[in-house]
Amino acid sequence: MSYGSTIKVPFGPQHPALKEPENFTFIVDGDIIVDVKPRIGYNHRGIEKAMEARTYIQNIYLAERICGICSDAHTTCYCQAIEELLDIEAPPRAKFIRLIIAELERLHSHSLWIGIAAHQIGFDTLFMYAWHDREIIMDLLEYISGNRVNYAMNTIGGVRRDISQEKADRIKRNLEVFEERVKYYIKTVNNEPTILKRTVGVGILKPRDAVELCAVGPTLRASGIKNDVRRDDPYISYDEVPFNVITDDGCDVFARIIVRCEEMLESINMIRYALEHMPTGRMRVRVPMRVPEGEAVSRVEAPRGELIHYVRSNGTSRPERYKVRSPTLGNIPALCKMLIGQHVADIPIVLAGIDPCFACMDRMEILDIHKGKRRILSLEELKGRRWNGS
Amino acid sequence: MAADLLTAVLQAIIFPGAAFLILLSCILEWIDRKVVAKIQGRYGPLYTGPYGLCQPMIDIAKLLFKEDITPRDADKRIFNIAPILCFSLPLMALYLIPISREALISFDGDIILLLFILTINVITVFLAGYSSASPFSIIGGIRASLQMIGYEIPMALALIGPALAAGTLSISGIINWQLSRGLWTLMLQPLGFTVLFICLLAELELVPFDIPEAETEIVAGWRTEYSGRKLALIRLGMDLKMLLAAAIIVSLYLGGSEAPPIPPTIIFLVKLVPVILLLSISHAVLARFRIDQMVSGMWRYLTPLSIIQIILIAIGLGR
Repeated sequence: MSYGSTIKVPFGPQHPALKEPENFTFIVDGDIIVDVKPRIGYNHRGIEKAMEARTYIQNIYLAERICGICSDAHTTCYCQAIEELLDIEAPPRAKFIRLIIAELERLHSHSLWIGIAAHQIGFDTLFMYAWHDREIIMDLLEYISGNRVNYAMNTIGGVRRDISQEKADRIKRNLEVFEERVKYYIKTVNNEPTILKRTVGVGILKPRDAVELCAVGPTLRASGIKNDVRRDDPYISYDEVPFNVITDDGCDVFARIIVRCEEMLESINMIRYALEHMPTGRMRVRVPMRVPEGEAVSRVEAPRGELIHYVRSNGTSRPERYKVRSPTLGNIPALCKMLIGQHVADIPIVLAGIDPCFACMDRMEILDIHKGKRRILSLEELKGRRWNGS
Repeated sequence: MAADLLTAVLQAIIFPGAAFLILLSCILEWIDRKVVAKIQGRYGPLYTGPYGLCQPMIDIAKLLFKEDITPRDADKRIFNIAPILCFSLPLMALYLIPISREALISFDGDIILLLFILTINVITVFLAGYSSASPFSIIGGIRASLQMIGYEIPMALALIGPALAAGTLSISGIINWQLSRGLWTLMLQPLGFTVLFICLLAELELVPFDIPEAETEIVAGWRTEYSGRKLALIRLGMDLKMLLAAAIIVSLYLGGSEAPPIPPTIIFLVKLVPVILLLSISHAVLARFRIDQMVSGMWRYLTPLSIIQIILIAIGLGR
């Protein structure tokens, strides 16, 4: 393809639409995007390498800090992998508590996303509302675990804190308030003409493309594909709690909004069911420091999609190799597909549509360097990216 | 003669001239920020002055002390002139609007000059963006002028409506006509009022038409490269533009400042507040359009509507 009269529009690493540093170069013809060049790796922190140098217990805390939003998904995934290596299973009560925390996390992640999506299309009032209501969930998480962001609930072999009857009552009470708000959002996005105008038919991802490009999570489900790790490969206690996998045939940004809103309602019901049917018993089992030799892969449905952790142990108290595949990375090829043919003005909302989390994603680069596939940007190259100096 | 001249100069500088208008526009910005914050469940300005009333002025004063950076590739002459024009053009247009007893500049046909200034204003915005030599500014400038293609015709027609009905091209003439008719133009030409209101939202670059400065798309749009004193002038110019838009609506559609025996300035200020509230509410409860949606919507709906309004006036309705 030749780009005779096209211009390059840089998007990032520093850009108001991206809350994290990442660079996309858009080649635009007039106002239409003809090509997208993502350039990942600005947020690389070397977490995987750091994990090899720490013990399994220390790594729980490191895994928690891979992402600020889905911190619980990462620890659940980590603990599951190690538990598999140790050949133990968390007690049933611990599994229910893990499920409750995971769904609360999904609630706050999705409401955060709704706010961001609204902000991307210039609807700041919905942004403020969504983030205000998100505090209900954040307060609940703080009430349960003592922390707003990194809950530190999971540990290898169970959970560290219990959810008492008193706590369960308060969770139920606050969820009722939150449920009303979610219903209100669904009503708003369905009826507000400016939102419909900006989201319906924007960022189309056909079901076939979605499967071929390995999209994950709500992005995939909004293309009408019924795929959810919670249902397909039940972990913790998802096989004991009834729920529906929400899909939508819209394939556009609007469908992604609807899928996430409906998922929030579904999560609220799951938490209610789990609180009522919580088994009694121990919260954790004791585990040895050394992990037997072997390999394990663990999958979790994080709020953004399928999260994969891989661990290889050599029988010591430290992992030999650790690897994380975050959902955002799985969605990047699909994202590039969605963006082609769109207007420049639609870039932010389509980009935000996959709920990108670059902090999660950017450990990726280290593996690529080892294989020699790709080089990380040198400092000199980064310096050259100033406005006039390039 | 000398006394007359002195009065004229004082009027132009202090009341109802520059000083008064700048102060008023800062207060309007405060009202706008407070109302939008209220709608969004925030506090808005809080600390400077009573209820944060001085916040807009402090913001501008702060900018005056900041470093003034000119990009290396910028077209320096235009880059420097554009903020001055951004500030002075709305101020000049406000001189045409009767705020106290009569307008500072008043002649037959001043509504044409008003239209001309509104158009030149957008060209200034385009030049400001273009001279900055940054992709975001250039796109912002282009979007501003593209947007103008959409709203200029309906806005001009909506401004001409009252003039046609009153049979005069002078703003004070239109106000006097409304006074003698005993009715506001709003009641006679609601269609024209709606069109003008929507077009002014676009002129002010407010949501849903804040396309030239869409934060999440093109940073600050045409203002991206401006800083320090120049940005202060631009900010002030935006506030004055908001005041100008509200003043146009008040004069042409809400009966203006004439309602004896109450002092005209008070009437003007009282009428200004609901217009500002309406502007604030409408830009708080909507999402941003895309530029192509905006231009096609303007041509598909607003232009025919404004033409229908003109036809209605021609056949005698709304006079």
